[in-house]
Amino acid sequence: MSDAALPASLAGAPSAPRRRLPLLIRFALLWLALMLGTALLADVIAPYAYTALDLRNRLSPPIGLGGSFLHALGTDELGRDVLSRLIYSIRMSLLIAFGATIIGAVLGTSLGFLAAHFRGLVEQVVLALVDFSASLPFLILALAVLAFFGNSLPLFVALLGLHAWERYARIARGLAISAGAQGYAAAVRQLGASPWRIYGRHVLPNIASTLIVSMTLAFPEIILLESGLSFLGLGVQPPETSLGSMVGYGREYLTRAPWILLSPAAVIVLTTFSVSALGDWLRDRLDPTLSR
Amino acid sequence: MLRFLATRLLRAAVTVVLVVTFAFVVLRLSGDPAQIIMGADAPPEAVEAFRRAWGLDDPIWMQYLRYFGAIIGGDLGRSMRDGRDAIALVAERIPATLALTIPALLIKLCIGIPAGITAALHRNSPIDRAVMVLAVAGFTVPSFVLGLLLVLVFAVQLGWLPSGGQESWRHAVLPILTLGIGGAAVLARFTRSAMLEVLGQPYIRTASAKGVPWRAVVWGHALPNAAIPTVTIIGFMVGSLIAGAVVVESVFSWPGVGRLLVVAVANRDLAVVQCVLLLVAGTMVTANLVVDLLYGALDPRLRSQARGA
Repeated sequence: MSDAALPASLAGAPSAPRRRLPLLIRFALLWLALMLGTALLADVIAPYAYTALDLRNRLSPPIGLGGSFLHALGTDELGRDVLSRLIYSIRMSLLIAFGATIIGAVLGTSLGFLAAHFRGLVEQVVLALVDFSASLPFLILALAVLAFFGNSLPLFVALLGLHAWERYARIARGLAISAGAQGYAAAVRQLGASPWRIYGRHVLPNIASTLIVSMTLAFPEIILLESGLSFLGLGVQPPETSLGSMVGYGREYLTRAPWILLSPAAVIVLTTFSVSALGDWLRDRLDPTLSR
Repeated sequence: MLRFLATRLLRAAVTVVLVVTFAFVVLRLSGDPAQIIMGADAPPEAVEAFRRAWGLDDPIWMQYLRYFGAIIGGDLGRSMRDGRDAIALVAERIPATLALTIPALLIKLCIGIPAGITAALHRNSPIDRAVMVLAVAGFTVPSFVLGLLLVLVFAVQLGWLPSGGQESWRHAVLPILTLGIGGAAVLARFTRSAMLEVLGQPYIRTASAKGVPWRAVVWGHALPNAAIPTVTIIGFMVGSLIAGAVVVESVFSWPGVGRLLVVAVANRDLAVVQCVLLLVAGTMVTANLVVDLLYGALDPRLRSQARGA
C-alpha cells in the first residue's frame, strides 16, 4: 500500500515515507550509539587513565591547534589527557542519567498506580506530594539535599531520580483511572486477577508508550541537571569526573586553555539534543495526544 | 468559583507546610550541624554550648514546633556563619537577582511568544523549521555552557563586555542574554505546540468555513485559547524569578540570591538555605495561585464548574 492512500493526519502533517528515518533522527541514533559504545568500552578505548598525569605536557593544545598526537584533545593544568577524561566522563554522566531516569519512572509510576488503585486518602497524599514537587524548582531542592546529606554517588543518583517523578505519577494515575473505566481492567478483575497482575500485565503495557516518551523527555533534563550540579562543584566529586565537572574545572582556564571545557560542553549539547530530537520524534509516532 | 478558590488556597497552604517540613527534616536530621559548623576537632564543651545556644539538644518534635512557630512569627534565624539575620541577608541579595531575571523574562516573552505563534501559523515552512531547530538548541544547551561561550566570544575574544562581577550595567548584559535566550527557546516551543493544538480544533475549521477572515480567526479564536496553557509556563517563569539564576549567577560571579544559596550550601549555613528554600517555595506557590485565578478569568468553563482534583 502506498503512503499516499493513507489519510496520514487531518492536521496536515506530511506523511514521511515509512522506512526512511529523517536525517536528524539518523544522526541522533548514530550519536547515541557512539556515546553508548564509548561508555561501555571506556576501559578499552581510553588512551590513558583519567587520573594519569603527564607533567611535561601540561596545558598542551589539541591537534589542529598545534598539539601532538600524544594527546589528541589536549591536556589540562595537571597534564591529564582530555580525551581520556572525556571518555570516562561520558560513562559517568550516562550511568547517572540512566539510573536516575529509571528510578524516577519506577517511583512515579508506582505512586501513580497506588493513587489510582486506592483513591481516597492515598490519592490525596500522592497529589499533595506532586504539588510539593511542582512547587520547588528541582535544582533548589537538590542543592539543599546534597549539601546537607553530604555527597556520595548512590545518593546523587537517587536524588536525581526524584526529578520528574511527579510527571510519571500524574500520567500513570490519569491513565490508570481511565483504563479502569475502559472495561479491560474491570474484566480481568472480574476474572479474579490480583492488583499486581492487573497493573503489571494489563494496564502498564497499555500506557507504556506514553511513559517511554516521558522518559526520553526526562533523560536530557537529568543530564543537564547532573552537569549543572557538577559544574557548581556540588555533584560528582573528584577524583571521579563527569561532563559537568570537566566544564566546571575548565572554566578556570577559559582564556588559556578553552579546549578543556569545549569538548565536554559539545558532548553535553549533542547528547541532550539527540535524545530530545528522538523523544520528539517518538512522541509524534507513538502518542499524538501527549502534546508538549 | 468560591469553592474553586478555596480548594486552590487550601492546596497552596498544604504545599507551604510540606515545604517547611521538608526543609526542617532535611536540614536538621541529615547530620549534626553543631559538629559541622564547629569543625571535627572542636572541644566537646564548645560543641555542647553551641547546641544549647541553637536549641539543638531538645527533642526533635519540640524543635519542629518551635521552628514552625518561629517561621509564622517571621523569624528564620540567623546565619550560623556570621550571626546576621538570615532574612536580611537574603533580602539584600534579591534586587541583584531581579536585575537579571526581570529583563531576561521580558526577552523571553518578546522573543518566545511571537516566534512560537509564527512557527505554528506557518507549520512546516522554513520559518517553522528554523524556529524549532533554534528552540531545541536553546533547550539543550545548558545555561553554563551558553554563558561560558558568550564569555569566550564577547569578553575574551572581542573584549566588548566584562566576563563577571557587578560594577556597571555592562556587567549585566551577558547574564541577561544567557537567561533570556534559553528561556525564549522553551517558551517558543511551548507556545508553538499550544497554538498547533488549538489550530487543529473543529471550532477553528468552523470559523474558517463560515467565512471569518483568517486574521480574525487567529486573533479572535486561536490566540485566546492558546493563551490558556501558555499562561501556566509563564507563571512558572514568573515564579522562578528568584531561583532561576543559580547557575548563571555562579558563572558570572553575580552577587544574587543564587550565589548566596550555593555558598550557603557549601558552608552548610542552615538558616540561610532554609530562608532561600522558603522564599523560593513561597514565590512559586503564589505564582501558581495567580495562574489558577487567571485560568478562571481566561477560561469561562472553569468559572461554572468546581474543578475536581
